[in-house]
Amino acid sequence: MTRPRLDLAAIDRDGAVREAADATSTRAALLGGALAAIGALALPSVAAAAPAPRDRSVLTYALSLEYLQDAFYTEAERLGALQGKVADAARVLGQTERAHVKAFRALLGSSAPARPRFDFHGTTEDELAFLHTAVALEDLCVGAYAGQATRIRSPEILQAAVDIHSVEARHAAWLRRLLDVRPTEGSLDEPRGRRSVIGTIAARGFVVDASDAPTTHRRASPLFTG
Amino acid sequence: MSERASGPLWKPVASAAPPGGARSELPPEARARRRARARRRGLVLLLIAVVALAVVATASSAVVSGAAEPVSVSAPALRTDVPGAPGSALAVPSPRAMPTPAAHTAAWAPVRRPTVARRVPRGHRVTRVGLRTPEGTTNLLEVIGRRTDAQGRLWAHVRLAVLPNDTTAWVPRSALGGITTVRTHLYVDLDARTATLMRGDEMVLRAPVGVGRSGAATPTGRFYVRNRLTTYRSKAYGPVAFGTSARSADLTEWPAGGYIGIHGTDQPELIPGRVSHGCIRMRNADIRRLARLMPIGTPVTIG
Repeated sequence: MTRPRLDLAAIDRDGAVREAADATSTRAALLGGALAAIGALALPSVAAAAPAPRDRSVLTYALSLEYLQDAFYTEAERLGALQGKVADAARVLGQTERAHVKAFRALLGSSAPARPRFDFHGTTEDELAFLHTAVALEDLCVGAYAGQATRIRSPEILQAAVDIHSVEARHAAWLRRLLDVRPTEGSLDEPRGRRSVIGTIAARGFVVDASDAPTTHRRASPLFTG
Repeated sequence: MSERASGPLWKPVASAAPPGGARSELPPEARARRRARARRRGLVLLLIAVVALAVVATASSAVVSGAAEPVSVSAPALRTDVPGAPGSALAVPSPRAMPTPAAHTAAWAPVRRPTVARRVPRGHRVTRVGLRTPEGTTNLLEVIGRRTDAQGRLWAHVRLAVLPNDTTAWVPRSALGGITTVRTHLYVDLDARTATLMRGDEMVLRAPVGVGRSGAATPTGRFYVRNRLTTYRSKAYGPVAFGTSARSADLTEWPAGGYIGIHGTDQPELIPGRVSHGCIRMRNADIRRLARLMPIGTPVTIG
């Protein structure tokens, strides 16, 4: 059996991702900047129990990744284009990612970043594209959590990160089984730095920059029949 | 093994022996107790020997495999003074299902690049789909299905804002932007002259409406909300106006092609009634409530 590539660079079934990247050549830079700004967000501590600025920066970064996964699985479930075991996985994984988002938002309180707008370029609407993207996103998050471990100062936050990290790894294993791919290769997972993770997401165009968001509200005169 | 070697782990039995006591001098019960103690002592010694061997074997294995810290053979086999894991900073709730299943969900996507809508994927042309509505907002299409063609290209089945009403067609999925889903649905009853907004199975608003008069009938069918307009001069549209994908079949010469809107009014006394040029008119208080409750992309069924 030919082993499929399971990384975000390999996901571009109909050229949609590439087209999007070409159409908005500055998007990656813009999104990289936007996400970096989100990830580096460090507001002053407002309460004694609030996370230290450095830990809050990690939490904000983690929440951004959880937003991405939450949106991906939730969209897949709502569109109803997936069937059988794959649809079941989308449903269950979506529930888990939504729980993660809720927990991070509760911990960050008012300093939690707003949910971005996403464009998954049809990968939630096709079974194979969904599975490849899902594995890539889970792997990305596993590497991202591992990459932050040495930056976290609070033992309680480190504990939370480790707790979630292993859940994401099991997600990746489950999705690989659905692709009929061996869930584990090698003996070591490499941690991924924040810049690498943000760059990968931005390059795929999954996060819609505010300047690209559709304009649906306008101060303009109606041209309706009345 | 001597008693000194096993020293502190058990009570020395010598002190329990009668002074100068020969075995023959003890009563049978005492001899039996002594034999039992001896058996217990033997078992304890055997257990200690096994544990010690296990510790030595583990330590040797750790050193050979390059473990960072070889285990000392003199260390307790099981340490109980290691601190437990810290509590998690996150209170992660139990996973919960979405409140609204896919059956109650509609989806829309913005047009990202001009494209041709086709009867079937790669089939005959129906119309060209542009980037903007007549009011200058982003052109949206309701996505009602999808299909992958023989070349592996994903197509979206969409509802179009063209005449005849209820026209659907296929566009390349890559021509559309990100999907947004909505859980609301607006039903307009032309006979009862009411508008009812549902969210899933729940009714969240019902209000009287004005609809098209004779010769300017409000079209029937399935449509969707395309935009929301505010801050305009004409008081005839009230404070808020929603543009829909519905078009008048009677007033095709109307500016911009005769699109049907849902809006307020400066003549609330005419509602409910057959008073409009095809649009759905609501009292201003009702259109303001609707504006708070109805997101863009909401399906509209008129019948």
